[in-house]
Amino acid sequence: MRRILSSLTDGKGFDLLLVGITLIFLILLAGLPLVYNVLLSFQEVDMFNLAAFSRPWAGLDNYREIVSQPEFGLVMRNTGIFVFGSIAGQFAFGFALAIFFMAKFPFASTIRGLFLVSWVMPGLVVGAIWGWILAGDFGVLNAVLQGLGIIDETMFWKSDPALSIWAVTMANIWLGLAFNMMLLSVGLAAIPRDLYEAAELDGANGFQRFTTITVPMMRSTIGAVLALGLIYTLQQFDLFPAITEGGPANSSNVAQYWAWQWSFRIFDFAKGATVSVMMLAFVLIASAVYVWSTRAEVRG
Amino acid sequence: MTPQIEISNVDKHYGAFHALKDIDLTIPKGSFVALVGPSGCGKSTLLRSIAGLESISSGDLRIAGERMNDMPPRKRDVAMVFQSYALYPHMNVLGNLTYSLRFKGVARADAREKANQVASTIGLEKLLDRYPRELSGGQRQRVAMGRAIIREPKAFLFDEPLSNLDAALRVHMRMEVRALHDRLGATSVYVTHDQIEAMTMADHVVVMREGRIEQQGSPLDLYDRPANRFVAGFIGSPAMNFVDGTGGEDGSSVRLDALPGAPVLRLDRRIEPGRPVTAGLRPEHLFSGGETQITVPIRVVESTGSVAYYTTDTDPELMLVEQGRGKLRPGDAAPLSIAPGDIHLFDPKTGLAL
Repeated sequence: MRRILSSLTDGKGFDLLLVGITLIFLILLAGLPLVYNVLLSFQEVDMFNLAAFSRPWAGLDNYREIVSQPEFGLVMRNTGIFVFGSIAGQFAFGFALAIFFMAKFPFASTIRGLFLVSWVMPGLVVGAIWGWILAGDFGVLNAVLQGLGIIDETMFWKSDPALSIWAVTMANIWLGLAFNMMLLSVGLAAIPRDLYEAAELDGANGFQRFTTITVPMMRSTIGAVLALGLIYTLQQFDLFPAITEGGPANSSNVAQYWAWQWSFRIFDFAKGATVSVMMLAFVLIASAVYVWSTRAEVRG
Repeated sequence: MTPQIEISNVDKHYGAFHALKDIDLTIPKGSFVALVGPSGCGKSTLLRSIAGLESISSGDLRIAGERMNDMPPRKRDVAMVFQSYALYPHMNVLGNLTYSLRFKGVARADAREKANQVASTIGLEKLLDRYPRELSGGQRQRVAMGRAIIREPKAFLFDEPLSNLDAALRVHMRMEVRALHDRLGATSVYVTHDQIEAMTMADHVVVMREGRIEQQGSPLDLYDRPANRFVAGFIGSPAMNFVDGTGGEDGSSVRLDALPGAPVLRLDRRIEPGRPVTAGLRPEHLFSGGETQITVPIRVVESTGSVAYYTTDTDPELMLVEQGRGKLRPGDAAPLSIAPGDIHLFDPKTGLAL
């Protein structure tokens, strides 16, 4: 007994205790709901057996029905546009800004800090602001584009079915920009200066230094940023109710908003769970990429 | 000899800080020049200015006759070995060695061939597939050198390349770097804070302090004829002893007022009688044989077996070096005999040699 107690205060027991608390927390708050969600997607759920645990087994019926919905293809296409458009935009602009702020100029770090505003703001607020920016008749975006002569007539970003998903994607790029820039800045700052000096003396010009030093040295950071980007983009919910509500006619509906609509608009919890389980598969792929990219940390 | 690197009237300012002050230095082709001085003296700044990693504020820098002031580093054709080695961690040894050849349009097979040659010169043949993190400190150091050698540059720049190695390896690499320099017929500029490295490796030593060149010349020249008190104290190990004194009445001796009994030492040159001076006495010159001129009490004895170091119980303390095991013990009176030619005299105010 004394030995167990002393191992709790000094030895391995303490480590196990810390790990155990975390594990219990994770299992209770993340693991069980996840399993319950997966279970739900294989059951028949209606308003009467909602509180019960054992429900009629539905097998893959829910999945078949989801896939055969007329809007299924559109929602998947939109989700693809939203996810890859957001990640590409956030990453490209975030990387460019991160490199820009590595240059030493007055107030560089202050200005970089201000970019965090976009990250701190609640998604609903950002959605409302972008809702105004994107407004067809009085929106700033249209005014700027028309002023620059890029477009001639008013673009109805939120109500044109061909544009609505891009409108939300634009807002989401802005929202995730700061997060990408910060992570990439940290990665950039971790590359020793003398590598660039050595490369410069070895005859590499700016572009060659970027492709042969910066990018390979950032490999694990880039993998992490892209994987987290995928996860956060699939989690992005607030912008949809604030900007388009998935409309018009599902033209800007994505999987995560669709799942919510199934569960809390139509109260078909099984279908909502089914859509979210399908999304889980994508997140697992992203997690695998993340683990793979951070597997071999390249440090001198 | 044709000059390979010519530095004339070079100044460097960082804002209000004057990092390099009117530097003039000519480095002949094929020579090995050491820049030495305490930290913050500007030696690394000067080296980085030659490389182009720092810009110079005024003056002229020429490499192989061509003015380089505004030339970017990649067009200067100089190679640098960094203190941290700065190996590319994501490339193996082969990749590190051939990195510079990529930008010269050398074919892969030729680059590989050349890397093999360089690797065999510096003993890296078996390590070409390893990554820097899998190498020991000494091996990394060799890769850094190999990366410089493969380019056949106009000059090699070394920025304290041996300071991260352990003592034994450092002594060995000292020799190896110098042997490599001779074999390649290269022009090398070597920055170090270790005067022993500078003295043993270089043909020409440049002693710097606070952005200025204090003195330059051959290593033994600096040892025998230091231009001022700073160089005298910096070159030589253990450091020179300094004792305040006065010019003797006869005009050819110096009285060491600071030592007990104010002993008088004979000089081999004239000195103004009564003039205040600082006498410089190297620890290894205090037992030159001949008649005893001074006795001083010993406080501490440190013996390495081959050499004995004594610290005297005087103010200022003197450091004495005796070859062999050393017969003196703490509390003994050490009989000092000093040859007149070994006494250095400095002006106490300006520090300049008299």
